[in-house]
Amino acid sequence: MSLYWAIQWRRNEGLGALFIVLAGFLILYAVLFPGILSIGGAGRFVQNWFPMALVAVAQAMIMLTGGIDLSVGAMVGLGSVVAATSMGGAFGIAGGTAATLGMGALVGTGVGVIVSIGRYPAIIVTLATSFIIGGAALLILPRPGGAIPPVLSDFLAGDHPTAVLLLILLVLGWKLYQATPLGIGLIASGDNPTGAYRSGVPTHRARIVAYALSGLLQAGAGLYVAAQTGSGDPVIGQPFTLAAIAAAVLGGVSFLGGQGTLRGALAGSLLMSVLINVMFFMNLPPVAQYVVQGLIIVVTVALPQLKQMLRRAVR
Amino acid sequence: MTLRGFALNDRMRATLPYGLIIVLWIGAGFFLPGFAKFGHLRYMVELAAVIGLVGIGQTLVVIGGGIDLSVAATITVAAIVMPLVSFAPDTTGIGAILLTLAVAGGIGAINGIGIGILALPPLIMTLATATTLQGLLVIIAGGSAVTVNNPLLVWLGSTRLLGIPVDILVWAAIAALCLAWLHGTRTGAAVFAIGTNALASRLSGIAERRVTLMLYTISGLTAGCAGLLLLAMNGQGYVGIGDPYLLSSIAAVVLGGTSILGGRGSYAGTIAGAILLVTMTALITVVNASAGWRSIILGCLILGMLPLSGRDQNR
Amino acid sequence: MADDRILLSAAGISKSFFGNPVLRDVSIALAPGRIHALLGENGAGKSTLINILSGALSPNAGTIAIAGQTLRALSPAGARGFGIAVVQQELSLMPHLSIAENIALGAAPTRFGLIDYRAIKERVSAITRETGITEPLDLPVNKLALGRRQMVEIAKALFRKPRVLILDEPTSSLSAHDVAILVGLIRKLKDQGLAILYISHRLNEILDFCDHVTVLKDGSLTADRPLAGMDAQGLVRLMVGRDPNDLFPPFQSSAADTVVLSMQNFRTAAVSGIDLDLRRGEILGLGGLVGQGQEDFLLGLYGAAEAAADRFTAGAATAPFRDVIAANRAGLAYVPADRKKDGLLLPHSIDLNLLLPSLARAGTGLFRNRREEQAVTQRLAERLSIRGDRGRPVQALSGGNQQKVALAKWLPLSPSILLLNDPTRGVDVGTKREIYLALQAMAREEKAVILLSSDTPELVHLCDRVAVFHKGRVATVLDHAAASEEAIVAAALGMNHGVAA
Repeated sequence: MSLYWAIQWRRNEGLGALFIVLAGFLILYAVLFPGILSIGGAGRFVQNWFPMALVAVAQAMIMLTGGIDLSVGAMVGLGSVVAATSMGGAFGIAGGTAATLGMGALVGTGVGVIVSIGRYPAIIVTLATSFIIGGAALLILPRPGGAIPPVLSDFLAGDHPTAVLLLILLVLGWKLYQATPLGIGLIASGDNPTGAYRSGVPTHRARIVAYALSGLLQAGAGLYVAAQTGSGDPVIGQPFTLAAIAAAVLGGVSFLGGQGTLRGALAGSLLMSVLINVMFFMNLPPVAQYVVQGLIIVVTVALPQLKQMLRRAVR
Repeated sequence: MTLRGFALNDRMRATLPYGLIIVLWIGAGFFLPGFAKFGHLRYMVELAAVIGLVGIGQTLVVIGGGIDLSVAATITVAAIVMPLVSFAPDTTGIGAILLTLAVAGGIGAINGIGIGILALPPLIMTLATATTLQGLLVIIAGGSAVTVNNPLLVWLGSTRLLGIPVDILVWAAIAALCLAWLHGTRTGAAVFAIGTNALASRLSGIAERRVTLMLYTISGLTAGCAGLLLLAMNGQGYVGIGDPYLLSSIAAVVLGGTSILGGRGSYAGTIAGAILLVTMTALITVVNASAGWRSIILGCLILGMLPLSGRDQNR
Repeated sequence: MADDRILLSAAGISKSFFGNPVLRDVSIALAPGRIHALLGENGAGKSTLINILSGALSPNAGTIAIAGQTLRALSPAGARGFGIAVVQQELSLMPHLSIAENIALGAAPTRFGLIDYRAIKERVSAITRETGITEPLDLPVNKLALGRRQMVEIAKALFRKPRVLILDEPTSSLSAHDVAILVGLIRKLKDQGLAILYISHRLNEILDFCDHVTVLKDGSLTADRPLAGMDAQGLVRLMVGRDPNDLFPPFQSSAADTVVLSMQNFRTAAVSGIDLDLRRGEILGLGGLVGQGQEDFLLGLYGAAEAAADRFTAGAATAPFRDVIAANRAGLAYVPADRKKDGLLLPHSIDLNLLLPSLARAGTGLFRNRREEQAVTQRLAERLSIRGDRGRPVQALSGGNQQKVALAKWLPLSPSILLLNDPTRGVDVGTKREIYLALQAMAREEKAVILLSSDTPELVHLCDRVAVFHKGRVATVLDHAAASEEAIVAAALGMNHGVAA
């Protein structure tokens, strides 16, 4: 097993700086709002962060295969309306949850098939499917409505550490998946698609499964948001698309494929959540978060290039 | 595989959407009274003008191998900023218009510097610009709508010359300029070269960075024009006015036969793409289909165009 | 040698791309315990043949047989299943995965559905020991130099315990040390009964350890025989179809006394301390092993990379060029080694490719004049014998004709200094001679040429002087009289015979 842990250690080498910045901001946040240091405060923070974490991970999975998913927001909206309309009556909570997550996986599979087997660029396919998915959400619930049973709302977004547990499960599940041939195939298909195919990696299967899992997570985020608000809203996912990309990029996931870790994406989304909250407590207008988000993205990506330019200027 | 290089194939792909438009207009004319009346067609083309204008910049940027995700934000900036830069001695209103266009062009230039000179990926840079602008806009304009009373703009929005609205004529003029530039000048040829292979272009002496800067500045300018046109047509501007036009511009480009991968295509197709989009929307509205169906059909349309649009060779 | 011992064979294979025939009725048989060389010039069809043998391409005509059984079609998976392993020049490694994961990619042992890292460690360690890979197994492959990555690629092929091993020019990026390891390994595998197909155009390697040779020339088979009794001359004759000395035009020097380019302590990327002069009408060769800085030097000189110098003159310029545009303005032109990646816009028409530098040049009016352009491209096509419809994508041309386009596009700019990076790589014999004659014609027209070549005979036969690179510096500059193959190779290996200006 020592080879396995050595590889994991290497793969996370680049994340050191990010974790330090993250720790810094967490400390700043705790200073401004000591309430977070309590169980209740921390729990509420995690609940706020949870949907962002899910979509960041979902986007990271797609980016690892070398694509970008522009339909994240639409899928979150669809997840929320499916959840809000399927839990009454015969289905019940279990049935409704299964329907929502199953829908996410199914749609994801469809998108994955088009992208992988059709060989079309993911960015334009997901642009198109964002219209289709968003349209479907509007058909199911033209206006916010439906209902989430209070039991589920309480379980997911109430006084229980459900969000934390789910996050832990997510990380464990991913680590497990990564240790399977299909999981490695996911990274390989983005790292060197022709090489992976030549090596006998089932690239199509790996990509399609990635899209299916991503869709499931996105729908799950929609379900969670619906549980938080108590009802479904077809357009509630809109800000999630760009934010998911931002979080993943912050976390070191490259949209060229093959590079990046889930932990990075989670850290990126956490950093953004913390930043938003810190700015709130510093009495900055809530929309300043957008400005900061934009700047962070540019600086993070431009950093290696800027470093190179500085080095050359010095020489 | 084409035997005659891109040029002939591109012409075929640009003609297809025109064919579709004619089919739809004639067909709708039979079944829906009033649809094919001159007044209604003119109205649709007016609506298409906004998409068509943004589409100029988007087409050029895409052919050059990139993408501009900040056009929606730039449109909104133009619509919001124009009333703010109106000043008394400026009786015709042209001063305010020029200032607004300068701001829009400036935004494009910032994109161009990041992408052309700092070598940031277009997706990331324009995404960051869009996010930053979103935040700044709310800070600047708050949530209220601002009515416009710029004389030139009012004139633009309401006058007709020989029965044709001035805004369509403005679009036609700028479109003609764009087509002449893209297909008739050396820099236009450079755009195709850069979008196909930036390195080979640079080694052949093409001023790749300068051209890229130009492309994104143009994109900012045309988005600014579109914002002003919107303002003229609506009479007032508000935050979010530009939002639908990001996806519409990309859709018009793709529907027009231009490949999202770059290096091939034409603005001629985008013109048709814009009109096609408006036609579809109008048809769906007339048939009383909801926003949901409109969205779904739009998405399916784009997916349908993909087999013609270009595949990722790497898989 | 009985037929039923043949592990993999192909009969009557023909293959064309875009209407260009690349293989014509070629047959080959691989027997176990034999190192079978596949010899041929660049562009002779070797890579295509091995793609067909490994199932990556299907032939237009002909059949493949495995262990005597003729197959309808062969897929990459089928080939792998039979035990055919290929090590190609384009590596199939994942830069962000570790050495161990790369070696086991696609064939990793599993336990309960999970990858068995312990088993991987065991099996991979054994193979890395044999292939001389000493780096830690968890190291991501992108941290390795190209030569080391090549060894990992070979280890990856061996991981699947192949019965047939095909190696496509494996030594092109290897150090002498790694070459020795590889040769030892190949001999051991031969003793173990593998059928080995070894593709190369390095005659000394072939004569050193191969048993049997198949020679391809312009897509056709010219020989299929044991190597016993063959010598280098004989092999070259089979590859080239004529006496090696017939390929090259008689040497002529057009070098004048005027210096058009001069530098002192020129430095860029991995290169430093270059003192060089270039005279009008001179053909200056750049020699040396692959990757010793020759290409970095050319790119720095051309303004495509950052460069500095204590003293630098090129026409009116007094400092190294800031960018390519400045270099073009001073009369420099550059033809890259990888024309597909760096030199041409493949999907675009021959016309557009020929016009590109002319379109890029400023100061000749805003609008394009299509009629004028057609006249220009017509003249260029005639001058360099590029036949056929110029509206076709340049992708449709053969390697040789593509190279002609990559060269011709510079002519309208009347460059005074031409920088050529391996211009005859992947080019058929006939076109090679055309290019050599064209180079001499340009020298006569008072242009200066810097010719980077990995083909030592080219340097010997064409150049007025040869600057041999070694470890990022010019080890020695040889006059035409002193520039024999032995002298160039010796200098390339670092045995400095002193500067002969």
